Amino acid sequence: MDYDAQLKLQAYLDGELPEAEAKDMAKCLARDQDATVLLAELKNTRQALAGGEMPRQLPESGEFFWSKIEREIERSELSQPAPAHESLLARWRRLLVPVSAAAVLGIIILVMVGPSNSSLAPESEVASEDSGSFVYRDESGTTLVWLSYPAENDIADETGGNRL
Amino acid sequence: MKRTVIGLVVFLCGLCGITAFGQAPAKPDKKIEVQLLWGTDSATSPNAGHKPVQPDVHKRLKTLPLKWHNYFMVTNVTLSVPRGQSAKAPISSKCAIEIKDLGQHNLEVSYFGKDKKVEKRTQSLPKGEMLFYGGNAPGTNAWLVVLKRLE
Repeated sequence: MDYDAQLKLQAYLDGELPEAEAKDMAKCLARDQDATVLLAELKNTRQALAGGEMPRQLPESGEFFWSKIEREIERSELSQPAPAHESLLARWRRLLVPVSAAAVLGIIILVMVGPSNSSLAPESEVASEDSGSFVYRDESGTTLVWLSYPAENDIADETGGNRL
Repeated sequence: MKRTVIGLVVFLCGLCGITAFGQAPAKPDKKIEVQLLWGTDSATSPNAGHKPVQPDVHKRLKTLPLKWHNYFMVTNVTLSVPRGQSAKAPISSKCAIEIKDLGQHNLEVSYFGKDKKVEKRTQSLPKGEMLFYGGNAPGTNAWLVVLKRLE
């Protein structure tokens, strides 16, 4: 007998087969001696197990046992103390953590944003007494202010041609 | 209890930070390097006392729309400008420069020729930037005054 057939035989013994299959199994048992021997063995095993089991008796009945558990649960729920009136310290403590976190975050933002270090501060144009100059500025941060004074001026001395 | 202590510590750190940020320590003086340059097309300067310009200045000069090919350093002065105050120094026998700190990166620069103020300018000068003042010199030469912020 293959494994599936053995399982079917066990189900037949336990009365778990549908009626049609049970009839087929009965016919099979009539033809197959191996199946009959196996069925007898399974019956003996079942009887041995049922007969050899030692009886166990609860000190109390099942309903009484579960009602005791239920009462214990109710008792523990009633014995939990009601939440105490929140103290002032507890209230402050609840506020302290978020306020501190906000303060630290504020500092980080202030440090990162900070006073502007940009070099884009407005440059006022030359406030010179002689407004003959032009300004050139490039991307590298270089500014050139060219004064259109004649060569003979207070800054460049004509004498020697190379003395400033 | 542990959470209370941690929260207090964080809060106090935050307070200290705000206090410290609001009362920053005194900032050091601004240091401005002032160089007087001579611009020419000659390969060498007629004045043996002139020195070659610094490489960073030379590099900036090349980017400017100036026609001269060669530049020489005549004098080099470093001015220490206290915060909110001014400092003045001569850069040649005839010329002087006065720099006033206006806060942050802003400076007021005044040029004096023969003790007379000939130019004044307000300029933002962060570290790494340069301000060039220039004009024509006798012949086909030029003079330039370079301001570099060192600190």
